Amino acid sequence: MNKKPVMSAARTIALKLKVLAREKEDVRRTLAVTAKKLRVKARQLAVTAREKEIVRRTLVVTAKKLRVKAKQLAVIAKEKEDVRRKLVVTAKKLKISHQTLKKNVLERTKDCEELRAKDEAIIASIGDGLVATDQKGRILVVNKAFERLLGWKEKDVQGKYLSEVIPMVDGNNKTIAESERLVTKTLRERTTTTTTTTMYYRRKDGASFPVAITVAPIFRGKELIGAVKVFRDITREKEIEKARSEFMSIASHQLRTPLTAIRWVLSSLKRENLPGELKELVNTAHETSTHMAVTIKRMLMISHLEEDGMEPDIAQVELQAVLDKVARLHDAHRQKSGLELSVECPPDLQVRTDEQLLIEILDNLLSNAYNYTPRGGKVSLRVTEEYASVRIDVADTGHGIPQEEQQKIPKKFFRASNIASPAAAGTGIGLYMVYNIVRLIGGAISFVSEQDKGTTFTLLFPS
Amino acid sequence: MGKHVLIAEDDTLLAQMMGRILSKNNVRVTIAYNGQEALEVLEKEVPDVLLLDVLMPVLDGHGVLQAIREKQLGCPVIVLSNLSDRMTKEKCKKMDVQHYFVKNDLDDDSLWPVVEQYLR
Repeated sequence: MNKKPVMSAARTIALKLKVLAREKEDVRRTLAVTAKKLRVKARQLAVTAREKEIVRRTLVVTAKKLRVKAKQLAVIAKEKEDVRRKLVVTAKKLKISHQTLKKNVLERTKDCEELRAKDEAIIASIGDGLVATDQKGRILVVNKAFERLLGWKEKDVQGKYLSEVIPMVDGNNKTIAESERLVTKTLRERTTTTTTTTMYYRRKDGASFPVAITVAPIFRGKELIGAVKVFRDITREKEIEKARSEFMSIASHQLRTPLTAIRWVLSSLKRENLPGELKELVNTAHETSTHMAVTIKRMLMISHLEEDGMEPDIAQVELQAVLDKVARLHDAHRQKSGLELSVECPPDLQVRTDEQLLIEILDNLLSNAYNYTPRGGKVSLRVTEEYASVRIDVADTGHGIPQEEQQKIPKKFFRASNIASPAAAGTGIGLYMVYNIVRLIGGAISFVSEQDKGTTFTLLFPS
Repeated sequence: MGKHVLIAEDDTLLAQMMGRILSKNNVRVTIAYNGQEALEVLEKEVPDVLLLDVLMPVLDGHGVLQAIREKQLGCPVIVLSNLSDRMTKEKCKKMDVQHYFVKNDLDDDSLWPVVEQYLR
């Protein structure tokens, strides 16, 4: 071995080691710097990490809150959606309802119009005159027949009072007062009224014609809102009635005179001294002829009453005298029937009436009382003064009128069913006539009756 | 002597019956069966009383009353009619008729007292 190469190699190695050490030192220093930097960096990172952690936590909280919020919003949104859906449904329904309503209203309106047109057509076509008024009696509507019968056009009379447009007169051409007109009565009494005697309407041109009138109240619920009047021209009926009445009158007159003669003959025969059997026959014949005379008289009177041809002759009448006269008329009848009659009347009491007609009334009532009271019964004629009126009671203790038949009085030809006896040979025209006469002379009549107890007819006259 | 009553009545039986009632009371009776016949009698002799019907053929009671007035015969007249309406009654009253009777309301024995009043 050579010492020298080894020496050089050792130096080279030592040099190299030196370089290496220096490089190591450099590296170490660099590493230290880097480590320092890294530590700084690490510290910075730690800080950052902490901050981040804080942020993260905050974010977590926020996220949590947001989730809650989102949930709430979702609920609200759902609710809103529900409401919206409901609204859509409701809107749909409303639309349908609206359409249905619209359709219904249109249909109803059409129906109403049709009905109205129909009603108007019906009213316009009614053959009788028609007029409707408001609750004060002012004309609202009239029909064609009204215009034709009275000569007034609807537009001329609308809003006017019926009574000022169409005067109404009675058979004596006397104008009927407003208060007595049927419309006034109907509005006052809230009931249907009709003409009971012949009344006449005056047309626009002044001519008049007989009418039959019915007036009915118009109610809306319970409220009276007017009246509707229907009237008919009864000229033709009156002509027929007149012809009938004239025929009655002529026929009755033709019968009356020979009957009077027969009655007189029989009456004078009665006074002759006839054999028993014949006397009885003559008596019955005389009674029958008298009865016939009374019947004919009543028929004539009814004929006159029905054609309004009777005019009462009103004067002061002494009642006691009238009662005595009537009582005397039936004296024979009473004795034969074995009845007791009592007559009561305040002295000198007078009443303003038609004497003959009053006698006719009492004659009829007394005759009925005698006819329908069995032997041994009592009949009374009693006059009393009552407030501003005179009251006359004709009472009997007879058969009475059965309750269920009482409303048939004073129907023409009505006879109570409990009267079977041929002795009471009634015709059923007596009371009918009495009621008509009482009305004619301005009195009032009523009755109370109980079967098998008796009947009382009461007349009232203004004193 | 002897009062005279003229009956103007178209109903034979009633005229005879009236005649009988009056004759029984010693009255001279003439019967006319219509107004024309009655006028003929009146022109010859004015009776003490005329019993006059209204509805008669040829000439009625109103016609007879008119003639009596025109000829101033001045005879009391009692009308016996079966017309009971007021108009006929008033029409007769205006023609100076003393009494107006509705035959139907009259009895045979009530005729004489009325006629008798005018014969005294």
